[in-house]
Amino acid sequence: MSQARALYHLMRADFLERVRRYSFLITLGLAVWLGWAVSTGKLKLWISDTRGLYNSAWVGLLMVLVVNTFVSLVGFYVVKNTLERDRRTGVGQILATTPMSKVLYTMGKTLSNLAVLVAMVAVLAGMAVVAQFVAGEDTHIQLVPLLMPFLVFCLPAMALVAAFAVLFETIPFLKGGFGNVAWFFLFTAMMPLGIKSKLDVVGLGLVQKQLKAAVVKAFGTASDHFVLGAVDNETRTRTFRWDGMHWTREILLSRLTLLVIALGIALLAALFFDRFDVSRSWGRRPSTGRDLVAVAANGLVPAGDGAAVQPAPVPVHLHPLPAGSRRFHFLDMLRAELRLLLKGQRWWWYAIAAGLVVAGFLVPEAGRKIVSPLAWLWPVLLWSSMGAREARFGTDGLVFSAAWPLQRQLPAAWLAGFLLALVTGSGVGLRLAISGNWSGAGAWLIGALFIPTCALAMGTWSGSSKLFEVVYLLLWYIGPLNQTRALDFMGAVPVAVKSGVPLVWLAATVALGVAGVAGRKRQLAGR
Amino acid sequence: MKLTIEGVGKRYKGNFWGLREFSLELGPGVLGLLGPNGAGKSTLMRILATITKPTEGRALWNGTDIALSPNELRSGLGYLPQDFGVYPNLNAVEFLEYMAAVKGLDASAARRRIEELLVLVNLTEARKRPLGGYSGGMKQRIGIAQALLNDPQLLIVDEPTVGLDPEERVRFRNLLSDLGGERIVILSTHIVSDVEATATGIALIDQGRLLAYAAPEELLRRVEGKVWEWVIPSAELPAAREKWKISNAIRRADGVHARVVSERPPVADARSVPPSLEDAYLAVLEGSRSKVAA
Repeated sequence: MSQARALYHLMRADFLERVRRYSFLITLGLAVWLGWAVSTGKLKLWISDTRGLYNSAWVGLLMVLVVNTFVSLVGFYVVKNTLERDRRTGVGQILATTPMSKVLYTMGKTLSNLAVLVAMVAVLAGMAVVAQFVAGEDTHIQLVPLLMPFLVFCLPAMALVAAFAVLFETIPFLKGGFGNVAWFFLFTAMMPLGIKSKLDVVGLGLVQKQLKAAVVKAFGTASDHFVLGAVDNETRTRTFRWDGMHWTREILLSRLTLLVIALGIALLAALFFDRFDVSRSWGRRPSTGRDLVAVAANGLVPAGDGAAVQPAPVPVHLHPLPAGSRRFHFLDMLRAELRLLLKGQRWWWYAIAAGLVVAGFLVPEAGRKIVSPLAWLWPVLLWSSMGAREARFGTDGLVFSAAWPLQRQLPAAWLAGFLLALVTGSGVGLRLAISGNWSGAGAWLIGALFIPTCALAMGTWSGSSKLFEVVYLLLWYIGPLNQTRALDFMGAVPVAVKSGVPLVWLAATVALGVAGVAGRKRQLAGR
Repeated sequence: MKLTIEGVGKRYKGNFWGLREFSLELGPGVLGLLGPNGAGKSTLMRILATITKPTEGRALWNGTDIALSPNELRSGLGYLPQDFGVYPNLNAVEFLEYMAAVKGLDASAARRRIEELLVLVNLTEARKRPLGGYSGGMKQRIGIAQALLNDPQLLIVDEPTVGLDPEERVRFRNLLSDLGGERIVILSTHIVSDVEATATGIALIDQGRLLAYAAPEELLRRVEGKVWEWVIPSAELPAAREKWKISNAIRRADGVHARVVSERPPVADARSVPPSLEDAYLAVLEGSRSKVAA
């Protein structure tokens, strides 16, 4: 009983701490926006060349698939910060001294994550009703067909995401930016694999069979063409009536299995959880997060500060600085920012970056469609620290109290990111220039300008590297990698370059540049 | 070199004033800021370090309003906040080189200065180790070094000795005394002995207001003849605490030596003892709170 009470309070405290933050409102706002996109028909579900009438059953199912596709991906990033918060605030150190077991802790954190995700899902369930009224095809609300898909499809998917977020936070190499990138690829791989297997997280595979049968019943035939997303071809207007899922034993068992797997992942996280003992961390001491001196100084001083390291103090006289030594040199600042950007990268990082540069230059155009995006994916974790580094590591008080931080440090930080983009993408850029493809080279240059500008703007506004990592990965995946014309910010899609898309990204770069400066101004003024 | 604070106040969300009608004029020397938790010391320091702007009043550095033209002060400012972080992947030299570039120091002058500072803060042996592996005390010393990088004319240090071992603390106190000769040093701390050892002037703050600003000698004079000590049996200590505001109680072989600040001797056999700065601090604080309560 006391264990259950502890679990409840662990979850409750963490949940309340999150929902009372301004960022939670933004999260809910995002959910409302997603719901609105469905309501206004921007996101649709098509099977074959037909869609269902917007009754409660159809809207519920559509919203659930949207939730499981988008909220599962993005929600992970929303909730993956709970252990980090305990580590940063020092609450973890206090919890570690209580009788609380590791299993209890990871379970509590998983439940708290789940509560946050369910809050987002609840908003979207509410938006499903709005969507039904906005469509106006059938305004009779039926709660069971509307809400059952949320219970059966969303709950296990959210539980899985909640547990994965905790697991990632307990594994040293996954708790930082690398984990954010890894989740993106894990999720995008899980989706198509899931459709064909019994462990279908999103549920697309499970509903596809019944939807196809309904279409066959209505029109006599149906193809396997199944689309969930933005549909601009409104000529396909055939509709059918969908009365809801048949909750078969197979479906229920499959969802129950997901819940059990989520539980298993939460338990597995307990195995990796270091109970805030930094000495048990794998490899080097953790270097992410705001490692504030005051926290360490309040009696939490690790061993190693003893006389063994330090020689006996010797009297020292500090000489005054020579006249004229207070002279700002932009190149010194740039060099310092570049070092800060690149410091900590191992030899293999540079080797792979160099490999991508060479590949970008040597491979033929077809291959460049892959190499070009990859070359600008590899440094994503370096760019993502731009603008957010001061807040993340708590050096803002030091850096922002220096003279002209906006005119000196910020441009140097941006230029360091731009140089990184130029160098890592130089293989592709050089090849385009040599082949005389100047429009392509121009688009490539706009890409090199866009990336650090976007990183800096998102870093200064969010104070975290996560926002850029998520947004950039989504853009990168949908745009350059999947050759979506409008989202090709780096000139990887030849047709996009020809149709002037890079100019739109240039405008976006300018806007983001202004936003970045405004964000830093806000950081300087708002402290 | 002059720092003038004129009626400075800072209001936070919820109409809470962290600092109110604070005025002071400072020249070269070490100013010790003393006050209980939440008194407004850090708020004042953040305003003077141009990190935050005052809601009312102004602070002038050599006649220039630091809220309007912060960069004039920043060029000659050294600031060690109470809470600060470091870049964990950089080593001590690299971090100080970075801070030197941010502060606009010439590279060769910075290199010489960094070498001196590393010796000064006793980190020469650990200079090539990533800062992520440093202990709290070592990081605090790096913070001290960065604050001194640009040979500041105004040095603001918030709880600088937190996390330092006794030897390092003494060393840092001596350094502050040395530095105070030719520049303005503002030191905020809870540790009265740190102020005792270094300050040429003391400002006592409580609930956002300046209660007293005087030289340490002057503050001590105010409680001269008002500090009493007497011996009571251990068992009577709780009752004595109920009756008097005992500032210190030391157990000795003959009983507990209780100490109070009072206009009159608390008991007939109490003897007058020389006051400490702690006595003066408590007396001013108590006096102010009694006035407010009345």
